[in-house]
Amino acid sequence: MSKIFSRYGDGTPFETTEKELMEDLVAGTQDAAERGKIDPLSQDDLDHIADIMKCRYTAVGVDPGYECVLTYDGAPIKLIRTNVNVDRLQALQIYEKLMGADTLEMGFVDYSYKPIKHIVTYEQPLMEQALLSTTAPIIYGAQPNLGLYSQPDGPFPNPAELLPAGRIAEAKESYEKAVEEAVRDMVYVASAMYESGADGIILDTVGAAGDADALAGLKTAQILKAKYPDISIEMGMAGEFVLGMHGSLEFEGVRLAGLYNHQMLELAEQVGVDIFGTVMNTNTTESAAWNLARAITFTKSCTDIAKIPIHANMGMGVGGVTVNDHTPIDITSKASKAMVEVCRLDGL
Amino acid sequence: MIEAQILEKAKKLLVEQDKEGVEAIARQIIASGHDPLELMDKALIPGITEVGDHFGRGVMFLPELMQAADAMKSATDIVNDALTNTDNGKKQGKKGKILIATVKGDVHDIGKCIVVSLMRANGFEVFDLGRDVDTDTIIEKAVEHDVDIIGTSALLTTTMSQQKILEEALKSAGLRDRFATMVGGAPCTPRWAARIGADAYAEDAQDGIRRVKEIINGK
Repeated sequence: MSKIFSRYGDGTPFETTEKELMEDLVAGTQDAAERGKIDPLSQDDLDHIADIMKCRYTAVGVDPGYECVLTYDGAPIKLIRTNVNVDRLQALQIYEKLMGADTLEMGFVDYSYKPIKHIVTYEQPLMEQALLSTTAPIIYGAQPNLGLYSQPDGPFPNPAELLPAGRIAEAKESYEKAVEEAVRDMVYVASAMYESGADGIILDTVGAAGDADALAGLKTAQILKAKYPDISIEMGMAGEFVLGMHGSLEFEGVRLAGLYNHQMLELAEQVGVDIFGTVMNTNTTESAAWNLARAITFTKSCTDIAKIPIHANMGMGVGGVTVNDHTPIDITSKASKAMVEVCRLDGL
Repeated sequence: MIEAQILEKAKKLLVEQDKEGVEAIARQIIASGHDPLELMDKALIPGITEVGDHFGRGVMFLPELMQAADAMKSATDIVNDALTNTDNGKKQGKKGKILIATVKGDVHDIGKCIVVSLMRANGFEVFDLGRDVDTDTIIEKAVEHDVDIIGTSALLTTTMSQQKILEEALKSAGLRDRFATMVGGAPCTPRWAARIGADAYAEDAQDGIRRVKEIINGK
């Protein structure tokens, strides 16, 4: 029996057999099902993923009929990060005209809402120029990034120092204060950019700093929708579940800590979010097959119940893709194809 | 042998972060003449492992994790005090000194703090240098405290290269054989540890404790 080329989650290549490949797929879906208390993938789905993983082509694409919206988050920042010397406006044009992006995201290099409030008047004319020189919808995006609200970067005591010292009530209070500040900043920046013509707002990597971060994202979306009923909001997760850094924060009576993507999706829909971005982290010590089956299981639990479009995050360290600065085309394209076809995904 | 019911109760108290309850049961077992190491091996270590697993699954959260680690530390202190004057203490193996830091350019330290708490709870002397620590400082402090192991954490693919720089710096300084090195953090793998020449890779806090014990007991 010929060996099948595969990779570990850290990108290291290895060869596997058909039997081992299926064992990894089964273990991956079972892990997701057990953790998220969701249905595992069917044998048909696992067979379909196995067929894609076994394919000897280096790069693959979706079957006809499965084409979906392709977008990139933090697009202008990523070209600069790879030392391509173009400004942000040109970067958006490159993504639209050369790289097939269906929607575009304008973002500031820091990619956090807090620092943008000081320069928002410089962001607004750039957004207007970008809108005039491209045709795809342009969404303005950044992260809540609650880490910027605790010392030394912000005004409140640092929970990461308080918690290990046993000062739990103080740490929780610090998170609660940070939520209020972050919501104020995000609403301010998002309003300014929407009023400058942005087609929508991305609240990206919501929950990266835990349940307080998720609460800030949900509150912001709720306020923006009340303020601008026609605003389009995309909310992207930070991981497969919301980390409980505070532990007891609630939104509309639902405890946020420990919510998996499909549970956060329901809250996002409740506040009027228009597109939900799922995120499943890659385990570097497991195989690509294990990671992919797991990521698809979690994502399918969203697409099965979603009333709004789901755009899965597929890239370095998420969605079953390996943790490489430049992700290998084999696993990136195979994971994307499998994710789209099994979940009947709306977008990547 | 300690009754299974008592061991189960001790484990449950720890998982529920009942510090006073855990301390009381530890004292009760020691006073009744039972082996405190049995309490550690069959109740407290499985208990803190369960807490870590619950945290990894989003069932238990950081404040609870910290409180459980605090209860574990108190119980470990009580057990260590009791072991000091008993023959059983010899079985526990040599305790070691560990330096831990998040590498230069990386400000993530929550995971590292959990590792530090668990290591202290397990009786190791830990020197926590914090986050964003440059290689020279790590080496300087390792020499100053005469540690057995240098553990570094990196959460980013862009900062994990600092772990390789540390290996090279230790070699250049002629200190590589003096310290064992251990790496951890989300992008790190056993293959990364082997590639850069680190002595061990730890997948999580519990695994870190296992690796540290292997290194210390193997010295």
